[in-house]
Amino acid sequence: MKKKDFVELLMETMEREEDLEEEMLLEAIEEYDSLAALSLMAMYDELGVNVTPKKLKKAKTVKDLIILAGENVSNE
Amino acid sequence: MAKICFNRAQISAIATTVGDRKLSIDDEKEKFHFDDNSLRRLKKTIGLDSRYVVSEGICTSDLCYQSAIDIFRQLDIDCNDVEALLFVTQSPDYRAPSTAIIMQDRLGLSVDTLAYDINLGCSGFVYGLFTAFSFIQSGLKKVLLLVGDVASSLTGKSDKTLAPLMGDAGSAILIDRVEHQRSYFVMHSDGSGCQHLIIPGGGCRKPYRRSVVVEDRGSEDADLRSDMDMYMNGGEIFNFSIKVVPKLFQELFEFTGVTEKEIDYFVLHQPNKYILQNIAKRLGISEEKMPSKTASVFGNQNSASITGTINGFLHEKFSDHELKNVFVGFGIGLSWGACYVETNAIYAPEVMMFDGR
Repeated sequence: MKKKDFVELLMETMEREEDLEEEMLLEAIEEYDSLAALSLMAMYDELGVNVTPKKLKKAKTVKDLIILAGENVSNE
Repeated sequence: MAKICFNRAQISAIATTVGDRKLSIDDEKEKFHFDDNSLRRLKKTIGLDSRYVVSEGICTSDLCYQSAIDIFRQLDIDCNDVEALLFVTQSPDYRAPSTAIIMQDRLGLSVDTLAYDINLGCSGFVYGLFTAFSFIQSGLKKVLLLVGDVASSLTGKSDKTLAPLMGDAGSAILIDRVEHQRSYFVMHSDGSGCQHLIIPGGGCRKPYRRSVVVEDRGSEDADLRSDMDMYMNGGEIFNFSIKVVPKLFQELFEFTGVTEKEIDYFVLHQPNKYILQNIAKRLGISEEKMPSKTASVFGNQNSASITGTINGFLHEKFSDHELKNVFVGFGIGLSWGACYVETNAIYAPEVMMFDGR
């Protein structure tokens, strides 16, 4: 999946309408709460990536969320 | 892996009693300090809507008593014929002795009855059924299984991470010996996850000393929960559920040789709509065959959630038809298990509300 498509998937999963930028801090994103965290784990699971709550907690920025998806996201 | 097959046990009756008070999440908004936006999302995503809880002082045993008496009366059971009584709960009447023994007397069963408690939560119905089926396989003819929790008493009253999910229910299940009836069980345990769902206080590790010190877990709601209340790491439990349950289905299919198409109902433990719909999506099984909305109506009924779903939503089907069923429990422990059980037009009345008998 292209990076742009993955970011759109992130927005959809978090139920966020405004754009997400890679350098954005997750703690500053209003929609990023404990419910969004569950949805994100489910999203990674469907991509075949094992993201535990601990791993997710270490993610600080949108870029970190992209890195967690590993090879599912191309650099384009 | 613990895989077991039986050929002599059959479920004859399932009855469930829920708490006498219906609470709506809209009315509980203030208590849990939900703002409008989080309440909207909790209703939409997790499926929070209503739940049934008991009035002060009512125990799980009281709910199970009503369920058991209903079965005894309707099926005209001679109490002397019941040889074993098992009670699966995390909310016993006392820390000791086993509530099952007290229930032997209260239900008028003979002193020849074998009785003890099993301390399990959301996996408890599958484990209780397994134990009851083992007794039958070993030679007993009639076993009464009681399962349930007054889960509302296990959580901090205003702990918004757990309390709004919980409902109170107690079921009774009658199991009989028959000439031939196959059933299959697959069971797992993983104690490395014990800290994700736990009541830390009150045991020997952290004894109850009258004044319970509140431990700060570093979260905003720490002051709303003491060590005598249940703690849940929602993320870990969600992650555990969506990983182990689909795998458990695969194991059961391989063990039994039965395919998904042949099964009439997949009745899973009902933590909330969100977890169940995530599992259903991975397995590609429809809502019709795998109900997911019990918790939205009754709350999370712990070990009585599978039977609560049968009496709450599938009672006509279970009363009138021969069915091939898969029951799946998963949760605190961590503990999980699944079974393939056939039922043949059993006594399965609509869910009852506790009436104070």
